[in-house]
Amino acid sequence: MAVTTLEKLDGTTNAGNLPWYLKDLYKYLGGFAVITVIYVGLRLYQGAYAVATGLDSTLPEYDAYWMRLFYGELITLMSFTAGLWSYLWFTRDRNPAALTPKAELRRHFALTMWISIYTFAVYWAGSYFAEQDNSWHQVVIRDTPFTANHIVVFYFSFPFYIMMGGSAWLYARTRLPTFAQGISLPLTLAVFGPFMILVSVGFNEWGHTFWFREEFFAAPIHWGFVIGGWFALAVGGILLQEVARMTELLDKLEDAS
Amino acid sequence: MTTNPAELAAQPYSGEKARLSRHFDYLILVLAFFLYIGSFHLNVALTVGDWDFWLDWKDRQWWPLITPLMMITFPAAVQSLLWERFRLPMGATLCMCCLLIGSWITRVFAYHYWNYFPINMVLPATMLPSALVLDVILMLTNSMTFTAIFGSAAFALLFYPSNWPMFGMFHVPVEYGGAQLTIADLFGFQYIRAGMPEYLRIIERGTLRTYGQYATPLASFFSALLCTLMYTLWWHLGKWFATVRYLKKI
Amino acid sequence: MLKRLGFLGCVLTTLAAGISVAHAHGEKALEPFIRMRTIQWYDVSWSNPTVEVNDAVTVTGRFHVAEDWPIGVPKPEAAYLNISVPGPVMIRTERYLNGQPWTNSVALRPGADYDFKVVLKARVPGRYHIHPFFNLKDAGPVMGPGRWIEIGGDAAAFSNPVKTLGGEVIDMESYGLATGVMWHGLWLLVGLAWLLWWISRPLFFPRYKMLEAGREAELVTPLDRRIAKVILVAVPVVVLGANAMAQNAYPNTIPLQAALDHIDPLEPVVNTGAVQVKILRAEYRVPGRSMAMTAQIFNGTGHPIRIGEFATAGLRFINAVAVVPSQDETDHLTAAAGLHLDNDAPIQPGERRTVMISATDAIWETEKLDGLIRDADSRLGGLLFFYDDAGQRYITSSSVAVIPRFD
Repeated sequence: MAVTTLEKLDGTTNAGNLPWYLKDLYKYLGGFAVITVIYVGLRLYQGAYAVATGLDSTLPEYDAYWMRLFYGELITLMSFTAGLWSYLWFTRDRNPAALTPKAELRRHFALTMWISIYTFAVYWAGSYFAEQDNSWHQVVIRDTPFTANHIVVFYFSFPFYIMMGGSAWLYARTRLPTFAQGISLPLTLAVFGPFMILVSVGFNEWGHTFWFREEFFAAPIHWGFVIGGWFALAVGGILLQEVARMTELLDKLEDAS
Repeated sequence: MTTNPAELAAQPYSGEKARLSRHFDYLILVLAFFLYIGSFHLNVALTVGDWDFWLDWKDRQWWPLITPLMMITFPAAVQSLLWERFRLPMGATLCMCCLLIGSWITRVFAYHYWNYFPINMVLPATMLPSALVLDVILMLTNSMTFTAIFGSAAFALLFYPSNWPMFGMFHVPVEYGGAQLTIADLFGFQYIRAGMPEYLRIIERGTLRTYGQYATPLASFFSALLCTLMYTLWWHLGKWFATVRYLKKI
Repeated sequence: MLKRLGFLGCVLTTLAAGISVAHAHGEKALEPFIRMRTIQWYDVSWSNPTVEVNDAVTVTGRFHVAEDWPIGVPKPEAAYLNISVPGPVMIRTERYLNGQPWTNSVALRPGADYDFKVVLKARVPGRYHIHPFFNLKDAGPVMGPGRWIEIGGDAAAFSNPVKTLGGEVIDMESYGLATGVMWHGLWLLVGLAWLLWWISRPLFFPRYKMLEAGREAELVTPLDRRIAKVILVAVPVVVLGANAMAQNAYPNTIPLQAALDHIDPLEPVVNTGAVQVKILRAEYRVPGRSMAMTAQIFNGTGHPIRIGEFATAGLRFINAVAVVPSQDETDHLTAAAGLHLDNDAPIQPGERRTVMISATDAIWETEKLDGLIRDADSRLGGLLFFYDDAGQRYITSSSVAVIPRFD
């Protein structure tokens, strides 16, 4: 492959004054902003309606304020997941091996941004709304798997980060030569492991049905979530794969000031 | 910082490549920040969460035993990645900062502002002193084995004295209902929790029949032993997860 | 951004203001046989429905622990009388069982009688529906009757002073918070400084390449090592020094208190033997929402008695023919004329009579107690209240298997 300078390869259109490898920066920041607005909005909604309408699942207002939110979330997430994953698949690069080093580097930046948005979604699910569940269980008497906080944490936040993780996986698989030639084990672990957290909701709810209705967070019925969370460590392997490839690519380019 | 000789020696890039490299650093740091808040906080909340959430769970037997044990997990795994592959001795401190930031956000917005719990009732414990010592022991010894033995022991042993300046004052006795209680117990009694009746607490189980009242040092030393094993396990778990393998099919 | 979010919050709060706050708390999800045959509440009352922040509200009542405790529910070896409120909008300042103060958990005895008193202190203004309830270990919360409490005033005016054994008066709302924030802030600063020390230099690509080239020793400088040594010494010194100071400042500390409270039951109040009841058969008539019980009653008192009420799982079916003390604010759970007998004549002293008792109301269905007939344990339990002509009350607790009738 011909060795070229970065300057000569600068064929892509810059967004504003951004460097060529950060072409997707605004989309990335936009993703953070949208996710922040969604989650802050959901939290405000909980603050406004949870005590007023979310304490008993048998009341009609519970259907109006919470189950409709639940169904709305399902429909929205399924639609967006289908749309996003289809888009990533149908717009795939049919010949990623032909990429220039520069284009491939830019796509590595894009993949890192996808994974970063994925981890931002993991933050809301695994940190904020997960622990908030303990707080809400000090208010509500458990009477449904669809509590005002479960509807946000289990049935929105978990599928949402799965959507983002799946997108990152598909992006890598369809656009980057190294990830297209073989299936990255760490990327697969980092996406499929946390996916199992959603599946663990079944174990959790089964346990609460058969054992206890109080909220003891360190209980074994919650450890399915824990094990799923460990797979986040595989992001370290993705970093190593990316760094190895990107330093190779950088070495193929001439220095530019 | 610009005068740091390591920076000059360790920077093979210049110009745009150096800027690209630095921008990648920033992206990874943002990614790692949220990744470790999300995943490490989940790990901690669902294994030692109750001890960390509530004042009236912070006992002298189980709290100093279980907290270091479950909080050395991600630090060991992240150290194995950042030290072995990048010579960055900050894995434990990074994890602990992320955990504390995530915990504080939740304690304030989920417990206090949403459900009216006073923040002092849900103060998290800190393991940052322990994490700093773990990081510098790894750096100075450059040895997983020495860090597992001495770093993990320090990690566990420093836990209780690090937190006593914050939580000791909640163990001052009060007379209440004709009996003595700690202020921490009184928080549990007064500030009503529907899902946390007193009997759920796993505290002060056992009789300490051999060594009188020396529960905390014993719990801490036992925790030090367990942390040594846990550190080694999680170091290797971290290495295993940070695989660079590509598969033909899944 | 913050302004917009604040605006959104205001809009949502305004919308929420038009909603009547829920008066149920998930109690209907618990199986009827647990609600009917564990804690049998009665005489629950509140001191005052409208209070200001810092004012006290007292909840008193009685309960009988059912003899026919369900086999599927662990025995009440640890139980905790709780209050269902939306968070600590009220705090619990006192709690008594049979006149004895208690703060931890207690073992209850099936077949025994207890009275309770809980004193609450208003903390956050609002209108709340509150219930006493029992957390039963491994069984779940069993709700008592609830009522609305309106709290006025200013939340900022709330204070919760407590006197320690050393004589210091502290405010629980803020005690220790500044100390905690200070220590967390200090260690976070040190931790972030350590992170900043490392991340301020080029990270992943250059360091990876250096390692690949076998030059990793150059990545840690003598200055780094000196700083690390300072941390290795300084952190433990600060930790142990602060720990010693804290021990010095608070020399008289005690471990968390974990004892199970021991409280003896009252002298028998229910099933004293003065009136004896054996329910021979019970049928639940689905279309009529009616529980028809055939009961054999023996009046061992010296006075004629009448059946005044059947109570189960917080529901009250009143025999309008008899004189029954009123209990306010639980009306939606009270069928004011829901109890009917085939023979309303008083049962005479020494008489043994078989009576057909019908407890009829839609609340069987709305409170989801009709689910009993679809449960794995379909035994009914409840309290029957008898009154003599002098107003003396006699209570019995009975249980019986229920047969559903669909016609």
